[in-house]
Amino acid sequence: MTAFEKKILSFSVVAGLALCVPQTASAMHIMEGYLPPAFCITWGALCIPFLAAGVITIRRLLQQHRKAILLLAMSGAFVFVVSSLKIPSVTGSCSHMTGTGLGAILFGVPATSVLGIIVLVFQAILLAHGGLTTLGANTFSMAVAGPLLTWGLYQAGKKLKLPKLWNIFFAAMLGDVFTYCITSFQLALAYPSAEGGIWASAVEFLAVFAPTQLPLAVIEGILTMLVVMGLETYAKTELNELRSEKGGLFK
Amino acid sequence: MTAAILAAVVLFSLFAGQLPVLWLTVVCLLTALAFWLLGRHHHDSVLVIDVYVRRSRLCKENAAYKAGASAILLILCICSQSPWPPLCLFCFLSVLTVAAGGVGLREYASLLGLPAVFLLLSGLTLLWDFYAELPQQAALAFPFFGGWLAVLPASQSLTALVLSRALGAVSCLYFLSLSTPMPELLSVLRRIHVPAVVVELAVLIYRYIFILLLTCRNMKDSAASRLGYKGLRRSLRTTGLVYGGLLANSFRRAGACFDAMESRCYTGQIAFLTEKRKLTAKIVLMLGAPLAGMAGCVFLGL
Repeated sequence: MTAFEKKILSFSVVAGLALCVPQTASAMHIMEGYLPPAFCITWGALCIPFLAAGVITIRRLLQQHRKAILLLAMSGAFVFVVSSLKIPSVTGSCSHMTGTGLGAILFGVPATSVLGIIVLVFQAILLAHGGLTTLGANTFSMAVAGPLLTWGLYQAGKKLKLPKLWNIFFAAMLGDVFTYCITSFQLALAYPSAEGGIWASAVEFLAVFAPTQLPLAVIEGILTMLVVMGLETYAKTELNELRSEKGGLFK
Repeated sequence: MTAAILAAVVLFSLFAGQLPVLWLTVVCLLTALAFWLLGRHHHDSVLVIDVYVRRSRLCKENAAYKAGASAILLILCICSQSPWPPLCLFCFLSVLTVAAGGVGLREYASLLGLPAVFLLLSGLTLLWDFYAELPQQAALAFPFFGGWLAVLPASQSLTALVLSRALGAVSCLYFLSLSTPMPELLSVLRRIHVPAVVVELAVLIYRYIFILLLTCRNMKDSAASRLGYKGLRRSLRTTGLVYGGLLANSFRRAGACFDAMESRCYTGQIAFLTEKRKLTAKIVLMLGAPLAGMAGCVFLGL
């Protein structure tokens, strides 16, 4: 082996160890204080229309059905609990679900974005995942962009008459992948690489976080599918109350 | 273990070319050792922060002042143009949280370990860049797929700034979350006129979290006692069933709660009782000093 080959080998060993055995793979929250002020404000501003739409939707819903606030609160607590617990994962390390894909499928995007921002504040303060200055960026990637794609794919799949469970699996999985792409892009926009600019930096962030995030997305898809299956078996009446075409709260 | 290796690699790339190699190696090994030792300390409970904050000696102080001061410190911290003020803030607030707040040093250190993997992985990305040709001033470089992966002094100083800002900001967040209980923070949100619907939802969510966590733990324990988590396939299935059952259960509970509230004359608004907390000189001084220091540093451009 030449010295050059040895160097490559040793680097690959270190990189393999460092990248492929992640200890904790929570959904990709950008940590507190990581983004410069201008980006914090911009991403926050992008979320405002969705949040306003969410508050208006929820308010209108509450005027008609007062019970909805309890259902929403329970679901918000459910999303938080699910995102704080470890789920089984491939590498034997611990990882957490986002749960917002499930929210989007059950409640639609505006209500999910409001639940999402509350859950993100709780995650920042009670679990130290994410942060307050990066709340805007995290809300955009996890409570707006991801659910938006999941909801769109789910509706499209329903129109195309895809098998229901596959539809839910793909919608939730791709929503998670999309969240991870948006987060990488957010990081790259804030810290473009010196030579290749934003795109090179985005590719780097995508590559570094891929080993933790891609398996997580698949697991999130499977779990979302199983949860909906469980709901249809054990909570048919409650589900109908939420989602039936006529008279459902979130049709 | 991973965090320890990562920490050593990041630290080595961060100071390569600025410190003698021998010193640098010693520092890296010591850091890795510290990470390894701290990484073995695990909690099985999820809401440890909520437990610590109830024990904190600062939890009776005025919540609005603590929240306001922490928010301003956060903003000043991410506006800083030099790595030193955030690092000083980090040390000061950590000492404050541990010594004045009474949070154990070991607990605080293990909380700091939570964002470490994100911080280190993204630090690695900021440090190393791909170049077609070997750059002149590279501090570290090796060939990679026909080009070079290299660390430049410019990216070293950027990474140092980003890492120190993140550390400072995390210490602000931890000071707030380890000194102010959630219900008091939510009452501050109500006072700054966040829409009432959102605050009501947040309060209810906070209360339901504990109920759901307990239910979930019982479900998991009974599933585990029936060998439900044996093998990846079966544990995925069990997890899905537990979560589905939990959601069904929570919908049912919401129905029961609503009936209880209706029978107690619920008209669509939930009224909360909040305690008034006096602003004491102690907390004003404790947070006034770093506020003045940070503001001075940021406006003078230090």
